[in-house]
Formats: sequence, C-alpha cells, structure tokens
Amino acid sequence: MPLPPASGTGKYFARAAKSIRLIRQGCTNRPFFHISVTHRRRLNSQPVIEQLGSYDPMPNFNNEKLVALNLERIKYWLGQGAHVTTPVAELLGLAGFFPIHPRCYMTAWRNRRTERENLEKQKAADAAKAS
Amino acid sequence: MHKNTRNVIIHYNNLQILAISSRKLSIVPSLYDGEQDPGPKFFCSGVQALLKRLTRPDFAKVFRKRTNSNLPFLKTPKYKFLTNEELDAEISKANKTAAWLLQMPPVVKVHDPINEVFSKDPALVGYDSSKYVFTDITFGVPNEQRLIVERDPDGTLQSCDHDTRKRLNQGRKVKEPTMFSDEEKFHGLLEEEKYEFILDRACIQYEPNEPTYQKVTSITYQHVDLKTNFNMLRSTRHFGPMAFYLTWHQSMDNLMLELLQTGFVRETVLLMGLRQAIHEDIAFADELNELVPQILPTPVQLKKSENLSEEDINLDNKCIDCVVKYITKNSAMKSQQELALQGFREEYQQLVELSRGLRKAHGNV
Repeated sequence: MPLPPASGTGKYFARAAKSIRLIRQGCTNRPFFHISVTHRRRLNSQPVIEQLGSYDPMPNFNNEKLVALNLERIKYWLGQGAHVTTPVAELLGLAGFFPIHPRCYMTAWRNRRTERENLEKQKAADAAKAS
Repeated sequence: MHKNTRNVIIHYNNLQILAISSRKLSIVPSLYDGEQDPGPKFFCSGVQALLKRLTRPDFAKVFRKRTNSNLPFLKTPKYKFLTNEELDAEISKANKTAAWLLQMPPVVKVHDPINEVFSKDPALVGYDSSKYVFTDITFGVPNEQRLIVERDPDGTLQSCDHDTRKRLNQGRKVKEPTMFSDEEKFHGLLEEEKYEFILDRACIQYEPNEPTYQKVTSITYQHVDLKTNFNMLRSTRHFGPMAFYLTWHQSMDNLMLELLQTGFVRETVLLMGLRQAIHEDIAFADELNELVPQILPTPVQLKKSENLSEEDINLDNKCIDCVVKYITKNSAMKSQQELALQGFREEYQQLVELSRGLRKAHGNV
C-alpha cells in the first residue's frame, strides 16, 4: 500500500471538525514534526488534509530549532474554523503570530525554579565537601 | 562634500603607498557604504555605454573555450557559406551573445544591517536553551521579502540578520570557499594574479550588496591597479565595475597612464567622460561632452591600425588636446602622464605619416 502524501491530500469534509496539529514523522530517536491540518478524529498515520509547515525539535549546528510556517494557509484554515493544539499554539505564540501561550510561561518559570534549586544543592554539596 | 572626500581619499592613497613599501601587501578594502549611492550613477545609460566601450571586447577572448562549460565533448567548428545579409545577421547575433557574456555585475550600496526587534519577553527566560527560527513559507513570496524571525533564549523576538536569512533561504548546499575566509590563501591567489577566477567566484557566492563581496572585489581591484594588470580583466565582465570603482575613488590615474603608454587615446577621453559623469569636476566638460558621442560609434580598436583616415586623425588630435588639458588640471600623476603622452605623440606622428604615405602611394589622396 503506498503511503499517503505527507504534504496533504487536499480532500476534506467541509462540516467536519478540523485541527492544526503536529504529526510525528522522522525515524527512531530522531523526531521531526509536520504541522498539518487534519480532521480531528483521524489518527496520525492517516492522510492529512494539507501540510502547513514543519518543526524540527533537534537543534542544528548553530543551536537553532527550525520551524517553517505557511502563514497564508494557516490563516485560511483558522478562518475555516480549525482548532489548534497546544504544542502548535505554543510555537505560533513564540513566533509572534499568536499571543504567547500560558504554558510557555509556566515551563519557563518551572525551569528557572529547578535551575535555582540545583544551584543551591550544588552550593550545599560544595560547602559540605569543603568543610 | 566633494572636497572632503577628495582630501580624505588622497590621504588614504598616501597611506596605502607607504604600507606597500614597508611590508607585504596590505591593501585597505573600501566598500560602497557611505552616504553616496553608486547605484543610480552606475545604471545610467551614458555610464553603461562608456564602461562597455572601455572593456574593449576582443571576441577571441570573450568566446574562448572554457573548461567548465557543460558540454560532454568539444564540437568541431562549423563552416558556412553566407550572403552579405546572412553574414550581417550572424555578426549581430555574435554581438548580442558577447553583450550577454559581458554583463557587468551590478555596483550597489552595501545593504543596511537588519536589527528590528518585535517584542521583548523576559518572562520566557529558561523556556529553552536554543533559538527558535521561524520562516514563512507562503507560496509566491520572493526570498528577499520572506518573513524570517527568531526567538532568542532570553525571550526577544527579532528579525534575522542577512547571514541567517541567506543560510535559511538557500540551504547548506553552498559552503563558503576558504579562499574568501582565509587571508593567506586570498593573498596567495592575488600574487598569482588569478583575478578573473576570484571575481567570478565572488559573483557566484555573494550578492552584490553584501559587505564580503564588496570587500573582496575592492581588494582585487586595488591589487590590479597596483600591479597595472588591467589587460587581464579587459574583455571580461569585471572591467566595467573595476573602472567604475577606480573612478569613484579618484584613483584612475594609473589606468589613464596605462592607456597613454599603450596608445589608446580615445579610451583616455572615454575615461575622462566617465569621471565627469560620476564626479562632475572636470573643467573642460563641454568639449568632453561633445567629443564622447563622436568616439562611441567608432569601432573598437584592438591593435594599431595603419590606415588612418583624415577623420580619425582629426578625432585623435582633439583627444590629445583633451588629454593635455586633463593632465594640467585634474591629474595626480602629471609627470608620468606627460612623458607617456610625449611618447604617444611621437609614435602617432609616425603612424600618421605612414598612413598618409600609404594613401598617396595607392593614389587615394
């Protein structure tokens, strides 16, 4: 059976619920996401309506995570009433297209807190070793 | 403004000469990044015509076989019998192909650095340790106008700079040749005088409004000027921008000297016309503007001709007068140019006598 085209079949039911979400492609231990618009109840392995971009979660040689967004088509599907899942909403918020998602602020705050606690633990361990 | 630049440039010329005599080649590159934009001057039709004529296209060199053409085998030349009209058609086709091959890489100002910041969100510090780069892949948008923004780990959302844009637009297919990043290799190539190779590669690698391209080309042009190797770039597409660069920075006197020494008076007048078009500081501008349109229609002279007609002799005499005026008023290398002009006059006198004698002998007086 040939695989469905990852760039999208273009076929959709006009009154069905659609969402813009991340579809995991890539290989074992090497994720790569397509940002696509599909019907909400479809599995990730089933054909998508259209691919609207990509997201590479592994940073490249310049420590950048590359995200491609077809803004014109995203605007079209949002106009057609597609929902957006949280990870895609976070990415669009970081891009400046949406307001920044509250989960981004939460993750950042939690990371800073763990960093601070680790630093204090490190200092305590060093102090214990010195004495 | 003109006076200020001239003073500055003269000082810079002195500095350059001192530097050369004291140590191994240290040329200061100079980019088109001042307030004055060379674009409008370069693209005006008068200047273009002058530059194309100054390159002195020699079809033997323009149409020579190059090793990097994509032919799997060499083709034998085709010989045809043609009528006069067909021959004219073929010649005009050859002229068009030569004009296409000799298209000059544009001379433009360096592009402005991009530092547009859209928003600052210090609350996002710690979200991720790597940058996020967002590219807009809307169909039909040209690469230069694409929206490419980045979100730094400290939360700032800003537009990407030109290097990142270039990397993301073209992909990692083209790696920068080491000859442009390594000074020693670059100077080694300049020593070996492989100017055309350097300039062709720079044209492929960079856009004409990038600072690296302008730096590379300016160092190359200055090296050519120093060693007076203008003939290596003649009949190539780089001679025009080089002549423009030298005239823009008021250091075209070496080229003028070389033209006088090799005896191309008409091209000296064209060079003066170029200077007039760019800087407008020649005192005898009216005569120049009359003379230049008379020279442009005459055919390109590749070597000394023996059959000088009376019109040619008149034209050349007018050119010599212009050159004398230029040397007295605007030149920076007066003594050398006067000497060269003297030598040219003697040689030219001999040529005139020869051609007059020939015509008399053939009975065409």
